Amino acid sequence: WKKDEFRNCNQTPFCKRARNRKPGTCALVAHDVTLLDGELTAKLLPKENYESPDQVHDQDQSKPLILSLSVYQDGIVRLKIDEDPKLDPPKKRFEVPDVILPDFAQKKLWLQKLSKEDDSSVIYLSDGYEAVLRHEPLEVYVREKGGKRRVISLNSHGLFDFEQLKVKKEGEEWEERFRGHTDTRPYGPQSISFDVSFYDADFVYGIPEHASSLALKPTRGPGVEESEPYRLFNLDVFEYIHDSPFGLYGSIPFMISHGKSHGTSGFFWLNSAEMQIDVLGSGWDAESGISLPSSQSRIDTFWMSEAGIVDTFFFVGPGPKDVVSQYTSVTGRPAMPQLFATAYHQCRWNYRDEEDVENVDSKFDEHDIPYDVLWLDIEHTDGKRYFTWDRVLFPHPEEMQRKLAAKGRHMVTIVDPHIKRDDSYFLHKETSQKGYYVKDASGNDFDGWCWPGSSSYPDMLNPEIRSWWGEKFTFENYVGSTPSFLRGLDPQSKRCKAFTLSSFHLFLVVFLYVCLCVDTSSRLIYVVPHLVEVSMPRDALHLGGVEHREVHNAYGYYFHMATSNGLVKRGDGKDRPFVLSRAFFAGSQRYGAVWTGDNTADWDQLRVSVPMILTLGLTGMSFSGADVGGFFGNPEPELLVRWYQIGAYYPFFRAHAHHDTKRREPWLFGERNTELIRDAIHMRYMLLPYFYTLFREANTSGVPVARPLWMEFPSDEVTFRNDEAFMVGNSLLVQGIYTERVKHTSVYLPGKESWYDLKTGAVYKGGMTHKLEVSEESVPAFQKAGTIIPRKDRFRRSSTQMVNDPYTLVIALNSSQKAEGELYVDDGKSFSFEQGAYIHRRFVFSDGKLTSLNVASNAPGRAQFSSECLIERIILLGHSAGPKTALIEPENKNVEIETGPLLLKSKRGSGFITIRKPNVPVAGDWTIKIL
Amino acid sequence: ASSPPKYIGIAPEDEKYYKSSESIKCKDGSKKFSKTQLNDNFCDCPDGTDEPGTSACPNGRFYCRNAGHVPLVLYSSRVNDGICDCCDGSDEYDDKVKCPNTCWEAGKVARDKLTRKIATFQEGVAIRKQEVERAKEAIAKDEMELSKLQNEEKTLRVLVQQLKEHKEQIDKAEEKERLQKEKEEKEKKEAEEKSKIAEEAKQENVEGVEKANDEAETISKDDDNIGLIEDSPLDQDAVNDHDDLDAEVEHDDASTNGRSSVHGVEQHTTQEIEESSATSETGTDVGSKVSTDKVTDTTPVNQSDAARVRKEYDESSAKLSKIQSRISSLTQKQKHDFGVDKEFYSFYGQCFESKESKYVYKVCPYKQASQVDGHSTTRLGQWDKFEDSYRVMIFSNGDKCWNGPDRSLKVKLRCGLKNEITDVDEPSRCEYVALLSTPVLCVEEKLKELQHKLDLMNKEQPQNHDEL
Repeated sequence: WKKDEFRNCNQTPFCKRARNRKPGTCALVAHDVTLLDGELTAKLLPKENYESPDQVHDQDQSKPLILSLSVYQDGIVRLKIDEDPKLDPPKKRFEVPDVILPDFAQKKLWLQKLSKEDDSSVIYLSDGYEAVLRHEPLEVYVREKGGKRRVISLNSHGLFDFEQLKVKKEGEEWEERFRGHTDTRPYGPQSISFDVSFYDADFVYGIPEHASSLALKPTRGPGVEESEPYRLFNLDVFEYIHDSPFGLYGSIPFMISHGKSHGTSGFFWLNSAEMQIDVLGSGWDAESGISLPSSQSRIDTFWMSEAGIVDTFFFVGPGPKDVVSQYTSVTGRPAMPQLFATAYHQCRWNYRDEEDVENVDSKFDEHDIPYDVLWLDIEHTDGKRYFTWDRVLFPHPEEMQRKLAAKGRHMVTIVDPHIKRDDSYFLHKETSQKGYYVKDASGNDFDGWCWPGSSSYPDMLNPEIRSWWGEKFTFENYVGSTPSFLRGLDPQSKRCKAFTLSSFHLFLVVFLYVCLCVDTSSRLIYVVPHLVEVSMPRDALHLGGVEHREVHNAYGYYFHMATSNGLVKRGDGKDRPFVLSRAFFAGSQRYGAVWTGDNTADWDQLRVSVPMILTLGLTGMSFSGADVGGFFGNPEPELLVRWYQIGAYYPFFRAHAHHDTKRREPWLFGERNTELIRDAIHMRYMLLPYFYTLFREANTSGVPVARPLWMEFPSDEVTFRNDEAFMVGNSLLVQGIYTERVKHTSVYLPGKESWYDLKTGAVYKGGMTHKLEVSEESVPAFQKAGTIIPRKDRFRRSSTQMVNDPYTLVIALNSSQKAEGELYVDDGKSFSFEQGAYIHRRFVFSDGKLTSLNVASNAPGRAQFSSECLIERIILLGHSAGPKTALIEPENKNVEIETGPLLLKSKRGSGFITIRKPNVPVAGDWTIKIL
Repeated sequence: ASSPPKYIGIAPEDEKYYKSSESIKCKDGSKKFSKTQLNDNFCDCPDGTDEPGTSACPNGRFYCRNAGHVPLVLYSSRVNDGICDCCDGSDEYDDKVKCPNTCWEAGKVARDKLTRKIATFQEGVAIRKQEVERAKEAIAKDEMELSKLQNEEKTLRVLVQQLKEHKEQIDKAEEKERLQKEKEEKEKKEAEEKSKIAEEAKQENVEGVEKANDEAETISKDDDNIGLIEDSPLDQDAVNDHDDLDAEVEHDDASTNGRSSVHGVEQHTTQEIEESSATSETGTDVGSKVSTDKVTDTTPVNQSDAARVRKEYDESSAKLSKIQSRISSLTQKQKHDFGVDKEFYSFYGQCFESKESKYVYKVCPYKQASQVDGHSTTRLGQWDKFEDSYRVMIFSNGDKCWNGPDRSLKVKLRCGLKNEITDVDEPSRCEYVALLSTPVLCVEEKLKELQHKLDLMNKEQPQNHDEL
């Protein structure tokens, strides 16, 4: 990691200025508070200006700012502060378009009443909560009704500052320099900063992407040594390190607080400029003299952004799932992936040619290891001209894809956002002729170095260009892609570390921004002129004169959007798209999956992958994963095996490796390791019905597939900082093994109910830490008592062949001999589930009886989906031995009960009550009574 | 779903196991199952014994007979998965897909291929036999030569020792004489002008060197002689073999220098002639040559006798070192692993080349492998060893790759009629794999195996043919 190539806060003038500001310096006062169009509006002016309007010194900073406070269903407050467009500012400040869901506006509650209370205005927020605007000093906060407890507040410390655009005066110096680059900053300083406090919070979480702990550590305050804020600035950071507040490939300015006494709340700032966020350690303001209500504990944070406006959202919770659901009701629920995309992906930079592809594919079969997707990285193209093929290495791409398709497998190819500036390249010709490239500060096509050499970048901020880009994925335009089998793109360029335009995220994140050139012939990383911090310069220009500085963090988002929409078109609107991106922004969850970028094959990075994925899930990006094995470097077999074992529980499960690493397909490390990796992958395939059900849950509620323990056990303080274990849904707890050759590990199992070892069925008490023996066979994984997990125990070549296979239900009984679980099934491919074509069952076990209930809507005219799948086996954990028969109703049929193994493959763990061949239809209503 | 035949997926030799009784044991001994549980699409045995014909057990195996072709054993995960794996279609019986029986066509293709392979093997086995015979002869010859040389060496060493002693006596005598003369001259000179002293001193210095130059002439003759001697046992060897030897002989000479401390001056001269090396010593040598003529006639006594002894000594010791180096190269060669039947003996000193796009790959067993691109050569590895029962040659520790491992090459050997590299690939960065076809791999047992396989296939054939 080349620290020097990236700016720290002190080298970033707006950050340095903001951090030096003292609490209480904000002099703004709210005036003219009124209700307008169902919202509260006010004008903000410095106190002295208002009192003596004739003595205004700084004309520019004295213009009133416009504040609006609106309220939405489910406990959401939106606070906007911007310059008054009627006062003719030099430029309209950038508001990030197309992130907030179009239908969110319809959830607005039309405010009827404004209550005045001392020097505050109070509005209704939801049953139990109110939003308050204090006029002087300015403060906005949410509290429980009747003023009992605060939830979240903004500007309680008076750190709010809004640099208004102004006309440059003689002698003023606006340019900024960094490592030989000059940012012309034609509009001068325009940053915004403010403090946000979370009440009754024990920890704050979120604001990806950083390789750091789940619970965010203080960045300022007593005892904090390395005083860098969490940076949100999408970059392709070459060989990133595992414990750093430094910003990586994507940014989501959404923070969640959680505490034992109040619960959970959230704060989101819709702003795509560079952002820096301090988590203030307790005692940071000891000298400020400001005292806040002391009855409530609190975590203070400080938010700084280089440009844009204040467009913020307060979410009241009160539970962790409520907050995530509230946030995703603003930015969108995660897309429902195709079934295949939730299975195992095999990637490498690069599978070299068709023969290589065929060999790798057949080796999976030879070793009976399932996989669903084979990936081709940048080398498959003709000289990194995306949408083309290297016809020497891949003379018959259609035929190659057909062969994979014949086994039910898919191929994903990469498309990066940089376009090679080569006049004979159709895409470049067209893009430049249409004027679709992002422009540099002087108005020419911006030219930044990336994998293909000199490259330019389409301006995805422009909807017209997005739609044009989407057309490139049609079968006619993307020659060599086949109808149903090419579904993906890796939009962010993976590799290139090229520029970052704020990260593109398409596949490798990299994209844009700096190209670290990746050529293997030289270790030099040269920062190409024009690329600052591996990224597009901040004064580059987008649609409508928007500066790159304003849109940087969302550039990749728009690429993801354009590509995903393009794939929908390609499939005639029938196929769900699959687009993996490295760059992301708030809302990216609607367009596909992301991965944590170019990690390294070491134990620390295996460890940090878990908090990174959990943080992404908390901030809406449920479908995420880390490169299994580590992208750079060569993992020892033990590390690789451990990575597969935990990777099998990542929402997105893909192995990937750098060009310069040794081959590491699962069968290359001796028979025993092959077996261990096969078992890990089998575990994922076995649990696919459960995972798919969870993806649907995320799709409807925003609640992620992989969850921090505290999301399921919000009042168990022991879990708040735990980021080595996580929940898959509400039923499974897994914990990685992050150390070499360990014999023992400690696992904390939360809650009052027991837990069952997923492999052996051994039972463990909840609410305590267990010291467990570690075997090489698996990482610790447990099913919570009181849950039912649907599985498919037959292994196939890919998920495609499992469609008709029968199910197994594993019922883990709780102390009252009860359990519940769900199963969601659809066609795995199309959008018809949106019309209701799916099966959604709830299984309830109580009083010795298992019942299958329909939880799908029964709306008339709903599309139908049917399945002939049966349930072939029901395993009861925690049930006393003895029963020999079960009665199935309504058929009135008896079936045998015997004792059997928990896992067919495992030598350990048998003797569990097993209902043998009930063969009830998974789609039907029935009950099974233990006799 | 249609119910399959009860005994589907079971190999003929296993049928008895399943049919013998009503209660059948899981093969791993873990439990028993009833005949109704056989292939009832529910897994009872952890090892899959009870479900040979369904996909119910993850560890199961499905046998398809494939009449007309060869039988196949599949993972149970392939049963009724919608993909035709067995050419007789027996793995897909749940009517989700139709799998046509393609065993006859596939079998014919396979049989033809096998027949061709057997033909190659038959011819190859014969060539291999000759190769092994030739290797035996070559080894015997090399051993004979070695023992002959060892005897010669012993005798010669004694002779050289004697000559050396004799020479030293002469040297001593000469030295004495010289000192005497010097003394006389000194006295003379002292009596003469003081100014001449310096010049004389120079002459003295050069004296030793003069002898060396004399000796140099004789040594070049010796070289010829030894060459002749060596040629006789060697002349049947392959040309490139000879080249190699020369290279090694040179090398050995150099190393001998260090060991035998005979006559520093002479050794230097020898080296100079053979290598025209420009070492730091060269300056002195050249200087001495210039003055040779002048010095010659100042040597007084016993000239002819001394010269003869010296010449004999030089000739013999040069011959000895040639012999020693030849012995050492033969011994080195014999240390290598030439296979069970020494069948790789002829690979020693051979190189195989192949052109792949712009590169030429050069594989020299027991030596090294390289990739040549125009004028630049990249070493892919030094000879390391055989692996996998002599089916793979390993070259390791080649040139370093940037950001990667040291280059290495794995050469997979296949039976073929010629020694020929048929493919070179780089499946992982800087880890190369080549295919070398060679008669050496055409082993009789393998031939028998192939013939047996073909017999089996042919046995199935008529039956199947009739059906068609």
